[in-house]
Amino acid sequence: MAEASLTRPSPPSMIGIVARKEFTETLRDGRFKWTAAIMALLLLTALASGWQRYAAYAEMQAAAQGTSNTQWLKQGDKNPHSAAHYGNYAFKQAGSLSFFDSGIEPYTGNLLFMEAHKQNLAISRPANDMSAVTRFGEINGATILQILMPLLIIFLGFAAFAGERERGTLRQLMSMGVSRQELMWGKALGIGGAAMLAIVPCLAVGTAVLAALDVSAAPDLGARVGVLALAYGAYGLIFLFLTLGVSALLGAPRNALIVLVGFWAFSVFLAPKTAAEISKLVHPSPSLGEFQAEMKADQVRGLDGVPTAAKFGKYVRELMAQYNVESPMKLPMYFPALRMQKLEEFDHVVFDHHYNSLRDTYMAQRRLQDALGVFAPVLPLTSASMGLAGSDLLHHDTYTQAAESHRRLMVERMNGYLSKAAVDLNGVSNSSNYMTADEEVFAIVPPFAYAPPDVRAVLAEYGGGLGLLFAWLLAALGFALFAASRFRLDVR
Amino acid sequence: MLEATGLSKKYGDLDALKGLNLSIKSGDIYCLLGANGAGKSTTINLFLNFIDPSGGTATVNGLDVTKHPLETKKFLAYIPETVMLYGNLTGFENLAYFAKLGGHDEYTDADLKNFLKQVGLQDDAFDKRVSAYSKGMRQKVGVAIALAKQAKALLLDEPTSGLDPKASNEFSELLKQLQKGGAAILMATHDLFRAKETGTRIGIMREGKLMRELSTDEVSHADVERIYLEHMH
Repeated sequence: MAEASLTRPSPPSMIGIVARKEFTETLRDGRFKWTAAIMALLLLTALASGWQRYAAYAEMQAAAQGTSNTQWLKQGDKNPHSAAHYGNYAFKQAGSLSFFDSGIEPYTGNLLFMEAHKQNLAISRPANDMSAVTRFGEINGATILQILMPLLIIFLGFAAFAGERERGTLRQLMSMGVSRQELMWGKALGIGGAAMLAIVPCLAVGTAVLAALDVSAAPDLGARVGVLALAYGAYGLIFLFLTLGVSALLGAPRNALIVLVGFWAFSVFLAPKTAAEISKLVHPSPSLGEFQAEMKADQVRGLDGVPTAAKFGKYVRELMAQYNVESPMKLPMYFPALRMQKLEEFDHVVFDHHYNSLRDTYMAQRRLQDALGVFAPVLPLTSASMGLAGSDLLHHDTYTQAAESHRRLMVERMNGYLSKAAVDLNGVSNSSNYMTADEEVFAIVPPFAYAPPDVRAVLAEYGGGLGLLFAWLLAALGFALFAASRFRLDVR
Repeated sequence: MLEATGLSKKYGDLDALKGLNLSIKSGDIYCLLGANGAGKSTTINLFLNFIDPSGGTATVNGLDVTKHPLETKKFLAYIPETVMLYGNLTGFENLAYFAKLGGHDEYTDADLKNFLKQVGLQDDAFDKRVSAYSKGMRQKVGVAIALAKQAKALLLDEPTSGLDPKASNEFSELLKQLQKGGAAILMATHDLFRAKETGTRIGIMREGKLMRELSTDEVSHADVERIYLEHMH
């Protein structure tokens, strides 16, 4: 008889049995109904309003870029260099998944004026138009998952072991011959499954939105969504395993809840704020005023200490020697155009230096914050999430660099055209009045367009952070399994 | 079926159990008597491998419980002072869950309901959540779980304390059924009357030591009480 029960052909899967029971029990719990309903409602609201914001912006951006391009062409006949002053606008493309995570988009500006002589900062920051009510930033799907998903999991799981221990069912359960590890996996599966139910609206709306998106415009969308899902899945599992581990090791459910909510508050509120402050201390970034003043000063005195005027004089003397002429007015190109272009080019070095170092500072700050993710998994998740959503600094930098390249192209083409077309006007006073260009000339500047970084570039930047997130997952799993091998059956 | 050989448990300097030798065969109902702290619950916890022995061995069906903690539990059913169940699940769902955990997923719903009927749970309680159950009803579900598990040995830790006499009597009848089915039963109790009525053997414990063993058919109620009190002084 004994042998018969020992050699059962296929014993039922304990993990599955425990998981189903935990799932059913969780769903019947009043706590679950309320928290899940609130979570689902918030997610739906955030995603729907994010989508509406995204769609409105994408439509506006396409239309405005078209209008601005037409205005460039139809600006009226004028001197080509004046046309470069008239300028054009570069509108930023919304991140393809920014309806889910708007990242730094509200703070960085989505409109950049491209004009001769100046590299401008992007303006039109949505945050400027927000009321004081939205001081915590826009509510978007990502924020809700980052902040509330762990709390939901904690609420569903803190009593998983501690509650059973307090009620005495843990003894009954362990007398049945269930292995401790199987019990841990079963509870993880059942409670994790219940938590998934609350997040389903997110998946549903997300899928509907993705179906509506123009995938041909963003061929890497599938990969971005896939990695995002993995990252948020890992984040949820980290909190699930931590919750179950703490519930198993700590005596009473109340204590488990206090410890877990404490870690949650530290992780999602204190850590990001502290990490940001630390990163600013380690990698100080200049204020806007300092930044602009420094750049202006370097434009005059030269990065290498040779004043721009001296550099230009040397350049002209070399050019005159090359063409063997005694006066710059005898050069075989329109000198004012040459001068303006050359001075632009001296500035490029200065602009590149300052803008790149500013960007590098911000990047270094962010990388440090990601590394501080060893203390709080939300840090690398936040970064990778906005990277994958296309609303991070990487995407913004690609946009501003594209706009700057376009500006340089525009100025160079206008000055270049002028320098050839007006070669006979050298030395003529008020010569700029005699040289006009029309739409056909303006059309040698192509319309502004750029491609955002693809998912490979995003992964290259955030791979380390994602790695850290998965290291957290392994550590949390290890902790949960350790806790499973150690938990006590009775409150003592 | 249940055997203890030189079984001991120390908590620091305190001897909770001192060299217990015990052998309980199929069809035995062995009642452990003794004051609180005599080592009755410690014995049961050792058989369940809920605590590690300081010395000696406890075996179930010939298997050492410390070496085969999961296999030996398949033969065991445990019924504590109050059977603890999941309040959010019905009596039926609790039984179904524990039956599956016990390795028996072959039962149909009708089979499971039969177990509940067999232990005398009212039909209308099957699908009520256990949070509304009385203690007596919980104990019945506990026995149903043991039946469904086809346990070869039962470990009962004061299962009738706090039950009214009728419920207590019903519980004893259930034990006798299980005994006829061939189960070996170890029951810790304070109820001398029930021990004499239901048990086949009685062991009297004091301060971690088994002082005396009796066969219930050789002694009267009065004898049991007299011998018990002798050992308490």
